[in-house]
Amino acid sequence: MAGQDKKNTPPQRQLRGLYSKVNISVRSLNIIIVVLAAALVVCMAAGVSNAGFSVRFDTVGGTTVESQKRMYGELIEAPDPPAREGYVFDGWYLDQNATRPWDLEKDVVTESVTLYAGWRAQ
Amino acid sequence: MTEKDKLKKVGDILLNNAMYIIIAAAVVYIAIMRPAFIKLPSIVNILSLTAAKLPIALGIGGCIVLTGTDISAGRVVGLTACISASLLTTVFKVFPDMASAAPLPLVLLLVIGVGALVGFINGFSVAKFKLHPFIVTLSTQLIVYGIILMYLMRGVNNGQTLSGLSENYRSFITGTLFTIGGVAVPKYVLYSLILTIIMWVIWNKTTFGKNMFAVGSNEEAANVSGVNVMRTIIMVFMLAGMMYGITGFLDGARIASANANTGLNYECDAIAACVIGGVSFVGGIGRISGIVVGVLLLQIIFTGLNFLSVDANMLYIIKGLIILIACAIDMRKYLVRK
Repeated sequence: MAGQDKKNTPPQRQLRGLYSKVNISVRSLNIIIVVLAAALVVCMAAGVSNAGFSVRFDTVGGTTVESQKRMYGELIEAPDPPAREGYVFDGWYLDQNATRPWDLEKDVVTESVTLYAGWRAQ
Repeated sequence: MTEKDKLKKVGDILLNNAMYIIIAAAVVYIAIMRPAFIKLPSIVNILSLTAAKLPIALGIGGCIVLTGTDISAGRVVGLTACISASLLTTVFKVFPDMASAAPLPLVLLLVIGVGALVGFINGFSVAKFKLHPFIVTLSTQLIVYGIILMYLMRGVNNGQTLSGLSENYRSFITGTLFTIGGVAVPKYVLYSLILTIIMWVIWNKTTFGKNMFAVGSNEEAANVSGVNVMRTIIMVFMLAGMMYGITGFLDGARIASANANTGLNYECDAIAACVIGGVSFVGGIGRISGIVVGVLLLQIIFTGLNFLSVDANMLYIIKGLIILIACAIDMRKYLVRK
């Protein structure tokens, strides 16, 4: 079938398996692949131009702390400690139960993260 | 060969490898922007994460070869991670009566058994009632999630994250296998390698493996030629379940904690990795080496995007597009093959 146009080629193979209901020509697939690849590149570019991980602070009932935007490998800027009546603030934690502490001087951001305030009853 | 033919051939190569080309271009860009990406610590990190995600993909690969899928995988990983973390710990919140951590091999066998049981239910329903694996595994996914939530409510745990894992559990998984240039390679890389070899042997050197491909490419023909289709399907799903169990066992110690969200969406990554690696949804087509390459490529691209500080929200969209492109390429390859 050298030199033949795709339109003149004999009926193509039938897809099977999970695609058994799919009826699509190679030409349409080509277009789909190109369009989706372009969309993928655009999304990656958008992600890169909009880079930055959000660092949110959940004070678990205390005064609110503003979230921050940080790049990969950066330290979190120490926020003003929140206040809560009847409790003393004792640092930021990765989990709500305050078992895994976050060291503001050493731990760097590698993904979007929510830090929870740890409270000690007064 | 005419000019047009040559052009067509180039187009074929470009389109069939579109995914690899995009990933390669992205890696070059990331390496230029963030040189640390191609430094040894980052490479070891990528390889370790690949190893961590490989077993689940090896399991799901078999289901895809059967023209099926398994979306219960992530939750089974979550359940087995929670079981491991609750038994191999220093603070027994789920079982307050326990005094010391359970023996490692026993827990490993237990989680493999739990995975195999879920796999058996999946496989049996698919094989016996001819249900589509999507429906069956969707329901087991939800059921397993419910079990995880109830399990975490047991004892005095009250649904909290399980942590405080016992030292020998953690060191068995994340202990140093060897150091290369001052960077520690964790032990689970070795376990993953062993599992890959085992799966390669199963897929390529056993009757069961050959039956699996036969059933995947044509169930009726396999049946006529004397393959026990039902047993093959059940075994493929059970084997996959065992792999999820092992993944959960590794993941508990690797992440150093387990909760209801552990394993969430793992099946998406694993399915995407398989399709990128050439395990076709057409059925009966796939290689272990392809799965390894697929998992590795996905890990490279996502670690790279992470280096560029691309937010996780966008990563989901990118993941979805990658799966779509991989499927389109998968179909195209099948259609143009002579």
